[in-house]
Amino acid sequence: MTHAYGNRSGVRYMTGGLKVYYVPWRPFLMQNTLPTFYGTLPIIRTILIRERISLVHGHQAFSTLCHEALMHARTMGYKVVFTDHSLYGFADVGSIHMNKVLQFTLADVSQAICVSHTSKENTVLRSGLLPEKVFVIPNAVDAAMFKPAPERPSSNDIVIVVISRLVYRKGADLLVEVIPEVCRLHPNIRFIVGGDGPKRVRLEEMREKHSLQDRVEMLGAVPHAHVRSVLISGHIFLNSSLTEAFCIAILEAASCGLLTVSTRVGGVPEVLPDDMIILAEPDPRDMVRAIMKAVSILPRIDPQVMHDRMKKLYSWHDVAKRTEIVYNRALKCSNQNLIERVSRYLSCGAWAGKLFCLVMIIDFLLWRLLQLLQPAGDIEEVPDFILPHQHQESEVLEDFKEQCLG
Amino acid sequence: MGEFSIANSPYTYINDSDWPSEAVGVHHVVVRKSFLRRLCVPLTAVSLLANSVYLFLVKEQSVSVLCWSFLLTGFLLILSLWKPVYKESVIIMPAFGVQLETHYSSGRIVRSFVPVGKILKPVLLECVTPVTCYWSLSLIVRGEEELMLVFKELHPPLKILVPIWKALCAAIDYRGKPDAFREDG
Repeated sequence: MTHAYGNRSGVRYMTGGLKVYYVPWRPFLMQNTLPTFYGTLPIIRTILIRERISLVHGHQAFSTLCHEALMHARTMGYKVVFTDHSLYGFADVGSIHMNKVLQFTLADVSQAICVSHTSKENTVLRSGLLPEKVFVIPNAVDAAMFKPAPERPSSNDIVIVVISRLVYRKGADLLVEVIPEVCRLHPNIRFIVGGDGPKRVRLEEMREKHSLQDRVEMLGAVPHAHVRSVLISGHIFLNSSLTEAFCIAILEAASCGLLTVSTRVGGVPEVLPDDMIILAEPDPRDMVRAIMKAVSILPRIDPQVMHDRMKKLYSWHDVAKRTEIVYNRALKCSNQNLIERVSRYLSCGAWAGKLFCLVMIIDFLLWRLLQLLQPAGDIEEVPDFILPHQHQESEVLEDFKEQCLG
Repeated sequence: MGEFSIANSPYTYINDSDWPSEAVGVHHVVVRKSFLRRLCVPLTAVSLLANSVYLFLVKEQSVSVLCWSFLLTGFLLILSLWKPVYKESVIIMPAFGVQLETHYSSGRIVRSFVPVGKILKPVLLECVTPVTCYWSLSLIVRGEEELMLVFKELHPPLKILVPIWKALCAAIDYRGKPDAFREDG
């Protein structure tokens, strides 16, 4: 379940029969809907009842819809799992508020998933969640899609590929320092920069200033389907993020057979084996040193061997199996009534604890009111619908009609 | 001739057709007046009476109290008269087309006819609004961008929609189009 994206609203079926509800709530900031607290209770309750849901899994601490859905699901007694995909700070005003909201949501969650051990530490510290409740399941890469080029790009030049959003958080400022220095030290190196963002202007200025137009190619925003074709045109992948919980980009690069140079931040050291990645501090001089080292060991790299290793190390099937274990663990958690749950919120802080308790009690009362106005028996359940293969169409339809008529 | 109503739902389904003798198929969905709505008329009457007694007996009162009392009465009146749809019907004539009717409590009937040649397919869809989600039966009409809703005012449950959808599919199929039955998800 998510909010509507432009015209994309209503119910859609994806490959494999995944059903997606695009609820027509308008996003107001950075793909986030307006936090309405209780506004989403009716539609969430309707969807959870009609689809016979057993467990609710929310993603991303920055999603208001996620926090609201998890809160309502807990009120209604469903088991809840939360996955955190990013690292956040502790110092600025935005982070402090975000962490308080996260503390509220995670105070009563059944289980949590983080994408790396660093991310687990970060989440546990921010939210006060018990470490025993947090599982670490790293992301994976689609090795079938990210294959190395059949033949390596055969020029004398060494091509370094950068694909990222050109924002402060992803270290675009570091690139501005590093690229001219590397071009000066090694006349055979070219750069391909894919991605767009507010810092693109700085990179363009850098190109002009050092006359690197023929050595630095700016591609603009690259759609995900074209990322592989950009990656296989290079030899080295450069990632200059200032903070990263996991970094799937370097997984994709390694799967395509590129040697990776990255900043040693967040969960990046956990992602690749030491012979596939060269780490550097987020400092221009250290990054230049790392790039030079990468250039020197490049002849020893075999893209196909790298790809085969990545295929064994990371697979989405493995992630699915591990996630299923988390779901089973969550479902085994005991049911708790309102009093027991409210006592958990009180420990969140002197003022915040009482505020959270109040929010949950009002949510509970609103839920009871909704049960009175629209009893659960009135919401009809959706019949199971399995997408047909060609010859099974009429059987599926008959089955559907039988289920509807009871 | 078949009829059934569903518990907890204000809708009753009546089938007047004698299919499969290839005569006309008639399907009605009737709204049972809910208990709350039935209360509205006596409540309005009581509140009007209370208002007039109050105005008669109490000489001095503030304008705001007067306004609020009239507003309340007006609201109750509107509630009892609002959404006055009594019945919606679908009349399927396999050789000609489909007639959609909406019957209001005031006696007004709104009819629309769709020729059989213009109907491409009847579809069952789930509609999502910011507060709820419900099934609807629509027709894909040749030349129109938008789907045509079969039930324009009412939201009957799936158990009522499926027999009507089956009958529509059969009628479309009958005219010899090669399309197989298919539900759009």
